[in-house]
Amino acid sequence: MKKAWRLIEALLVTVLMLTIVPQKTSAADKQEARTDNYLRNVKRKGELVMGTSPDFPPYEFVKNVNGKSKVVGMDIEVGKKVARDMGVKLVVRTMDFDSLLVALETGKVDMVISGMDATPKRAQSVDFSRAYYKSGQNLLIRTEDQDKYHDYKSFAGKAIGAQTGSMQATLIKQQAKKSKLKTMDKDNDLVLGLKTHKFDAVAVDKATAEAFAKNTSGIMVIPSGFKVDSAGSAIAFHKGAKSLVKQANKSIAEIKQKDLINQKYLPKAGKYLAGGKSKKENKASNSMWAYKDFFIAGVGYTLFISAISVFFGFLLGAILAFMRLGRNQIARSVATAYIEFVRGTPLMVQLLFIYFGLGLIINIPALLSGIIAVSLNSAAYVAEVIRSGISSIAVGQTEASRSLGLSRTATMRYVIMPQAMKNIWPALGNEFVSLIKESSIVSVIGVKDLIYQSRIVQADTYRGVMPLVITMILYFIITFGLSSLMKVFERKMNHD
Amino acid sequence: MTDKSPVIKVEHLQKSFGNNKVLKDINAEVNEGQVICLIGPSGAGKSTFLRCLNLLDQPSSGKVIFENKELTALSEDQLDQLREKMGMVFQQFNLFPHMSIIENIKLAPMKVKGMSSKDAEAKGLELLRQVGLEDKADAFPASLSGGQQQRVAIARALAMDPEVMLFDEPTSALDPEMVGEVLKVMQDLAQKGMTMVVVTHEMGFAKNVADEVWFMADGYIQEKAAPQQFFTQPQTQRAQDFLARVLEA
Ligand SMILES: Nc1ncnc2c1ncn2[C@@H]1O[C@H](COP(=O)(O)OP(=O)(O)OP(=O)(O)O)[C@@H](O)[C@H]1O
Ligand SMILES: [Mg+2]
Repeated sequence: MKKAWRLIEALLVTVLMLTIVPQKTSAADKQEARTDNYLRNVKRKGELVMGTSPDFPPYEFVKNVNGKSKVVGMDIEVGKKVARDMGVKLVVRTMDFDSLLVALETGKVDMVISGMDATPKRAQSVDFSRAYYKSGQNLLIRTEDQDKYHDYKSFAGKAIGAQTGSMQATLIKQQAKKSKLKTMDKDNDLVLGLKTHKFDAVAVDKATAEAFAKNTSGIMVIPSGFKVDSAGSAIAFHKGAKSLVKQANKSIAEIKQKDLINQKYLPKAGKYLAGGKSKKENKASNSMWAYKDFFIAGVGYTLFISAISVFFGFLLGAILAFMRLGRNQIARSVATAYIEFVRGTPLMVQLLFIYFGLGLIINIPALLSGIIAVSLNSAAYVAEVIRSGISSIAVGQTEASRSLGLSRTATMRYVIMPQAMKNIWPALGNEFVSLIKESSIVSVIGVKDLIYQSRIVQADTYRGVMPLVITMILYFIITFGLSSLMKVFERKMNHD
Repeated sequence: MTDKSPVIKVEHLQKSFGNNKVLKDINAEVNEGQVICLIGPSGAGKSTFLRCLNLLDQPSSGKVIFENKELTALSEDQLDQLREKMGMVFQQFNLFPHMSIIENIKLAPMKVKGMSSKDAEAKGLELLRQVGLEDKADAFPASLSGGQQQRVAIARALAMDPEVMLFDEPTSALDPEMVGEVLKVMQDLAQKGMTMVVVTHEMGFAKNVADEVWFMADGYIQEKAAPQQFFTQPQTQRAQDFLARVLEA
């Protein structure tokens, strides 16, 4: 019920996957045609892996529990129930909503429970269980406007916000034709946009609307007035995993029969949302200091990813630069093709390709995929920095050195590189700084870096701006520290 | 090496850059202790010829024989070993700007010949003394005048004890008042018996120091003669025109 599948990304990844592993795909098809081993495999593993995008309270969100982050919410309870009924353990894997279905198709997760609507379009690529929950549609408005607005019809000529590609966005487009649609990626940003008058209402799911209204001052819930024909939220499984669907439907039948969602799951999620404390305590725990461990962990991941990627990016970049400058025609073409291709495609797509595309052949964990993607990407840029640094040294230097009997390697080492480094170093510093910033893209596949953590803190505290400010400051400290360090070395080098 | 066999022998040397045939058919010999001055109009291929001698440029066809070895047939490693025996001095000096003068001179003896730093230093200082720049050992190239830099470049090449010295217009980039000091060093070198091939526009130097003058134009060596003969009775029309223009200026 949140974001619809982003078609272009899906196409790109799929095309890339198909070109790389045609045999594997057809093997999977054959397996489907024969028998369905999905349930048997889950039971043998002893665990059921659930994919979810935890920025959607009360369905799923991350809570600071004794300083540790924990994914909680109504969907998690549903997942636990399904796993328990299968007699296995539930493992929760988090990632961006956009990445969930690919993760399912590529076998990174066994099922997806993420407030996802069983739309016919999605049903083309996955199999859905019965709906386990059907929510309504609401609008969030500023409390001060409560006399002005009653439902979507009150917003003629005004702007309404909704999540990019979401069902709500479609509803606004189709039914609130007189209103302008403003979309944003995250619910937190939408609420922030509402409070800062970017638009006058936000269309969200009923349960979400209530959760936000309860935890954010100055906003309230009104009926949407949309005519909705929704199948409700369902569990998504790999296409053809009929045994899992059947098993899950049994659990869902019980959930419905006992009204577990309203009786148990939602109240439990609500407790997490309120923190299970008095209002005063709740506010205290929403202060940024209470989330310091999140930011520390985020900085840790960001530094870890960056440091390893800088190292390998530099190493591979240097190799590529020398391949490109060398005399071997094949090596030169390979290096040139690599550099041009990597620089000509977005890091985002490269990351998704490595995580999902190569994931079909070998299962690479998200963190490792992130490091590989950022390293491989950076290598192309480093290679160009090194190459142009070397090319900027006059040919006369090489000729003088070779005429003295120094080999190619010795010439490079004693004559060219020491001079080239003075050009390369500052440009390399810039490249490393942008690597740190761009590494933030790994949050898309659920790597818990600084951006990811700031999103979690936003969702958890219902505070949109403060986590962003802190994240910005932290990034700045890291990048400024690095560029200062590079300058120290630069000065040292120029003194030699 | 006997007196009879030439130090360098060039047979049917051709060199093209793409469709541009720069050297069409060069045949020449340089004997031990000889000083050859190579003159000719701009673009004639003089630099290209010199660079083909130590294979900084790969000849398109033909042979370059040095110390009885056919250079175009040699591997990269073997070439490195022969290149160190052919010192080369460039128009633009090409000193290594990130090294002091003495480090410039020490680099090749230490890294190529494996000489100790101490021995290389002693040798470098002696060579600097010969070119009159002993006091500049610890200076950096940028602080030297063009004439001083070129003398260092000569000392740097000599540090490898080359059999032959190749000069490509060593004084063309110099202010006129500095030309003399460099020519003087080269003349001393010639007197000590160094085999030299010098591309130059300094007709005075060619007249006084060369054993043979080669005149190059249109991709061929048009004339080879003793300087006396070449400057008084040039045989080809090309050479006569060239001399008329140069001597007039
Ligand atoms: N690396 C190269 N690539 C392509 N063409 C070249 C190259 N080096 C030289 N040439 C061409 O070869 C021809 C001869 O050049 P060369 O430098 O040997 O002449 P030169 O006799 O030394 O002239 P000058 O007196 O101006 O130094 C010129 O037409 C030049 O453009
Ligand atoms: Mg020239």
